Amino acid sequence: MSYKCSRCKRDVELDEYGGVRCPYCGHRVLLKERAPTIKEVDVE
Amino acid sequence: MVADFEVEFIERDDRNARFLVRGASPAFANGIRRAMIADVPTFSIDTVRFVENSSVMFDEMIGLRLGLVPLTTPLDDFEVGETVTLALDVEGPGTAYSGDIETSDDLVEPADDNIPIIELKEQQRIELEADAVLDTGREHAKHQGGVAVGYRHLQRVEVVGDAGEFDEGEPNILRGVIETEDGELVATDEFDHDLAERYPGKELAVHDVPGAFVFHVETDGSFSVEELVTRAAESIGARAAELETKVAV
Repeated sequence: MSYKCSRCKRDVELDEYGGVRCPYCGHRVLLKERAPTIKEVDVE
Repeated sequence: MVADFEVEFIERDDRNARFLVRGASPAFANGIRRAMIADVPTFSIDTVRFVENSSVMFDEMIGLRLGLVPLTTPLDDFEVGETVTLALDVEGPGTAYSGDIETSDDLVEPADDNIPIIELKEQQRIELEADAVLDTGREHAKHQGGVAVGYRHLQRVEVVGDAGEFDEGEPNILRGVIETEDGELVATDEFDHDLAERYPGKELAVHDVPGAFVFHVETDGSFSVEELVTRAAESIGARAAELETKVAV
């Protein structure tokens, strides 16, 4: 899963055992990025 | 019973009209009204493919807004179920308007250019592709071509005498279209919907004219009022013809 650190704005890959923490700056707030795929929505 | 309709226009614009129909039954007037709302198809965005949406709103909410943008609908060139592709690509800061929507077919484009879709701030961007489909109001309200369609009885106003000497002169409010004693048709907004203003100091009798209906028709801009009314009448005719053939078999 790809996240973005809210402090240093770098892309972060989370692994299962590392805990929620940016490996570059140690910040614990990570933001989930929008998936780069095209999303189809039905207008109902 | 075969009725001869007499039609007279009171107001006539591209999107808005008021006309009087004489010789119609209440059932037929309501049938036409319902056909105008539910049976005349219009184009409306049905599927949206979001390439990018970094705005503050969810894709689904923007999709719903796009669905409500009226699109011009040349009914002679398309069948129900056909689709046309549209696209929108706007980068902030600024507002994405319906006029920013690009179309793959010039016959189908937003009827109004100034409908705001979403306000974008710095570094926000919206890019999408959408399919508009031709369908009827029966399927979804976004496909309604007639948005404010209704009718009232024509009301005849007769002067029966002078008002009493000590009458208060209270307002006598009436809305719609009136027929005067000499057969003139007057919309009530011409005298502020107050009969006391048009006939001061008179005693009046007001009654419905049987079989005379004043239609007020407004379209969303997909097509003209004439197109809407004739297509509604055609749809009733087509259903009657279908019934006739099915019964005859």
